[in-house]
Amino acid sequence: MKPISRREFVTLTTVVPVAIPAILQGRAAPTAQEIVDRIKQRIGIEWKADGVDTFKAGDPMTPVKGVATSAMASLDVLKQAVKAGANFVITCEPTFYSRADAPAPTGARRGGPVAPDAIFTAKNEFIRNNQLVVWRFSDHWRQRTPDPLSVGLADTLGWGRLRAQDDPRRITIPGTTLESLASDLKRKLNSRGGIRVVGDPRLRVSKIALLPGTSPVQSALGLFPLVDAIIAGEVREWESVELARDKVTAGERKSLILLGRVVSENPGMSECAKWLKDVVPEVRTTWIPVDDPYWRPV
Amino acid sequence: MRALTAGEVVSRVKSNLGIPWRDTTYRDTFKFGGPETEVRGIATTMFCNFDVVQRAAQAGMNMIIPHEDTYWNDRDDVSIVSGDPLYKTKVEFMKEHNMVVFRIHDHMHSQRPDFTYVGLARALGLDRKYETAPESHRFVIPETTLGALASDFQKRLGARAVRAVGNPNAKVRRIQVGVGYATPAVNDPEVDVVVSGEQQETDGGFDSPEYVLDAVSLGITKGWIMLGHAISEEQGMLEMAQWIKSFTPEVPVQLIRGGEPYWAPK
Repeated sequence: MKPISRREFVTLTTVVPVAIPAILQGRAAPTAQEIVDRIKQRIGIEWKADGVDTFKAGDPMTPVKGVATSAMASLDVLKQAVKAGANFVITCEPTFYSRADAPAPTGARRGGPVAPDAIFTAKNEFIRNNQLVVWRFSDHWRQRTPDPLSVGLADTLGWGRLRAQDDPRRITIPGTTLESLASDLKRKLNSRGGIRVVGDPRLRVSKIALLPGTSPVQSALGLFPLVDAIIAGEVREWESVELARDKVTAGERKSLILLGRVVSENPGMSECAKWLKDVVPEVRTTWIPVDDPYWRPV
Repeated sequence: MRALTAGEVVSRVKSNLGIPWRDTTYRDTFKFGGPETEVRGIATTMFCNFDVVQRAAQAGMNMIIPHEDTYWNDRDDVSIVSGDPLYKTKVEFMKEHNMVVFRIHDHMHSQRPDFTYVGLARALGLDRKYETAPESHRFVIPETTLGALASDFQKRLGARAVRAVGNPNAKVRRIQVGVGYATPAVNDPEVDVVVSGEQQETDGGFDSPEYVLDAVSLGITKGWIMLGHAISEEQGMLEMAQWIKSFTPEVPVQLIRGGEPYWAPK
């Protein structure tokens, strides 16, 4: 064995930090199942197997070349994942158009027709042809503290430093009008036409609460006393929308901005991609934003 | 002449309905006041919101018959909302003005015709001659584009925040109409476009927005037009007012519109 010089020794030790990924890269790629197992270990939330966070398509034993996170695994998002070299897609919302997430239609609401369905078929084929694995990550990701969906949304809006100490959902921004806040959100979130607002456009707003995803009236009732504006993903119109409208009628200086569900969840899945970089250092993780599904008629 | 009571109005609603009344409903009940309240005028409306309540009082109407809730949750469970001062403000106002609120939802949808569909088709200009069969709520219209159709609907409703999903240039003819939250799934092969009030965007019984996005990716024609819950069902409360007027000639009856709650940013 050749003795190593001091210089060679120094070189070897200094390359150690970069050598770790190299060593990992040399190892067999983790399977989708292994990645999910690591997520379960590191999420810090007691894992509930009966929720929606399960494999939706593909073989969990597939070796993973790259990971893509997204708010919703639409066909467009799956195509972008393939382009980015990812074969494991982690999605916040369903893949097959319902909470049940069954890969074939199970009978639509109002007794609509059952299989075959060209769109289900094409999506399954795309997943199969590209050997993709799709896994949903929603219930547990939302439960992390601080709520990564609110953190991601605030950071995307440039409000990361303006968060309340005790509640990541609450932010105090420099005073502005509701109208200019709504336009600002539209621009920063690349919203096409999905944003809708309840309240006086000229209302001065500074204290904001974030409710990404979907939320019941109880959430709005709890936050309205603390803020001027709630920025939510989606709420039910017979709940928080009418509550906001009644508050305005009663002369309360309150407002509600609805972003749309997936648009509100996009930044939270960007957070997820950042978090996964440590969990899965062997392969690249890419965040793929979903375009705003909505446009407004002219 | 004996004064008309709210209880008498409700009993006439029940006897004119043409279908048996189901007492199991939690929706179609008194939400404020009771059967003994004397009725000076009746306002039908969509949501029994505070603005509508105030305008009804101003117009001298003290009975409100809304299609939807009064206290910001479907069951009108006041235990959820009674901690908010707004609840007290609204209730105090109704008490001061001797108002009575009776919701008609489940029985309105069971009645034939269901006025919510009649009213919305009328307001959207969907002529009965285009309906494939009575009560099918499916209309086959002369070919147009999804974009033109959505614009036409928005203009007719005077709306500001209609939302649509799909390719605006897609040629469409076959329209399925839904109302409120009863939004038909868009995956029916006989349907190009679903137009309705409201539906959760994802994670529901059928997630039409994602389905339409995928259809667009595949070049398959599908469109989804969401008008908003309020303006989709408010239209039929005009037919409801006319129907109630037909058996309550003693008092004025009219629709008081709550209108669209939203605006959209530039």
